[in-house]
Amino acid sequence: MIRSMLRAGAWPAVTGVSGAAVVLGGCGVAFPAATTALFPIAFTLLAAAAAFALDEPASLVVDVTPTGPARRTGIRALALLAPLAAGAVLILAGTMRGLALPWAATGLALAGNVVLGFAVACVVRTHTGEPGAAASATVVLILMAPTLLPAVARRVSTFPTSGRDGLSSNTVWWTVLAVSVAAVAVSVSGRPRLRWMSGLR
Amino acid sequence: MNATLAPTRAQSSAGRTTFAALVVHELRRFVVNPVFLFAVAFTAWTTWGNPSTSVTDIDEVNWYPAISLGGFGMMATFWLTRSMRHSEPVVGVTPTGLPVRSAALCTVAVVPFLCGVLTLLAFLHYHPLDARVYGAFSPPAQVAVLVGQIVLPSLGGPLLGVALGRWVRFPGAAFVALLFLFGWGNLSTVPSLTHPDSTAATALRLFAPFTHFTFTNNGTEMTTWPGSPWFFIGWQLALCAIAVLVALLRGAHSRPRTRIVRTLQIVLVVAAIMFVLAVGGGFTHAIHAR
Repeated sequence: MIRSMLRAGAWPAVTGVSGAAVVLGGCGVAFPAATTALFPIAFTLLAAAAAFALDEPASLVVDVTPTGPARRTGIRALALLAPLAAGAVLILAGTMRGLALPWAATGLALAGNVVLGFAVACVVRTHTGEPGAAASATVVLILMAPTLLPAVARRVSTFPTSGRDGLSSNTVWWTVLAVSVAAVAVSVSGRPRLRWMSGLR
Repeated sequence: MNATLAPTRAQSSAGRTTFAALVVHELRRFVVNPVFLFAVAFTAWTTWGNPSTSVTDIDEVNWYPAISLGGFGMMATFWLTRSMRHSEPVVGVTPTGLPVRSAALCTVAVVPFLCGVLTLLAFLHYHPLDARVYGAFSPPAQVAVLVGQIVLPSLGGPLLGVALGRWVRFPGAAFVALLFLFGWGNLSTVPSLTHPDSTAATALRLFAPFTHFTFTNNGTEMTTWPGSPWFFIGWQLALCAIAVLVALLRGAHSRPRTRIVRTLQIVLVVAAIMFVLAVGGGFTHAIHAR
């Protein structure tokens, strides 16, 4: 069953977007002057890739099988290995190239991005069988906010670069990880939907 | 003779009416799209509501409209185009062909284009022309820089969204394209930072739908890079035309398809000429001013 569930996953989307992230991040490794601009974009793409992990075109059939959402989500979470591996390759390439980045904090940012994408997909999955498009767009808008809004960038850092004020990248991503794990747990626990969520249908 | 022509005229008149109705319908759908409304609000906030008096280089602020009206506009038109995909079996059998519907969707780009024009006027009001922040260009060329950085991305982004929506099945194609163009814009500028006089660096920097023409080193020294803002506008317009033609190509058959392909070839040649002129025009070397 695990194999058939994994086979039904949206692998072209997950691996395709992860591949695009590797290309952009690879350019960041090749051109150190652009690393701090391209790595956050690559990580944003990895978060978007993770958001496609739960896409299930046959959800009308799958959702009524005895396999619970927790088990299905757990199996599909294996797809997160693709964006995580892509990010790890970028970090490894950056280390070998001698880029001056705090790699532990960068690794945490990578994990935070991917888990955020997956958590948003889990929440949207309670409404639709294919949450990828909506969840990835939401994640991209959230993660681009510090780039687009100087006021947000002054208060929050989503990538560990020096010379930034406000909340550090580590604080942000530990918080995001905690909230994301809670969101995933709630969304797969099989509880009845909240009233405001039901109203969205 | 009149009897032969009468049905043709009636048909073309009916076609125009259908097209106009389609345009109105698509415009209505577009202007209430939440992503587009967010883009407009964001542009208004960054341009009208948040005028900065301490701007030392227009590059600090001029890319916001390009990202919002162009980038988010692209996401909005992409979704608008894709939203009809599920009803294609029904819509596909109507007499109105896919190219006509694509043309109606492309017409929607007029809205973000007009928003871009308004943003340009507001931008000029809050950041008046000044060589210290706009670079060593003449005043008309300074306006041309802004047109290429604010108005044309607002037109091209939504057109690219329609083309992507017609050809790419992947639902996340719009944001991948947005992030890729954003990354490419950053990456292609890097060589110009270290080799400002290099023709190759200039060509790389201008080989994008959006580019910068100036650079300020921590507000101390303004560098005006080589490259012609006027011909860059021509390059951008050619890119817009390519996006429209690629969108129209989907579903086109026989004679219209041949015509579109032929026009596309001509526009590609024009784009190449404009690009070469943009790289070769303007200043022959970077101008530094304190």
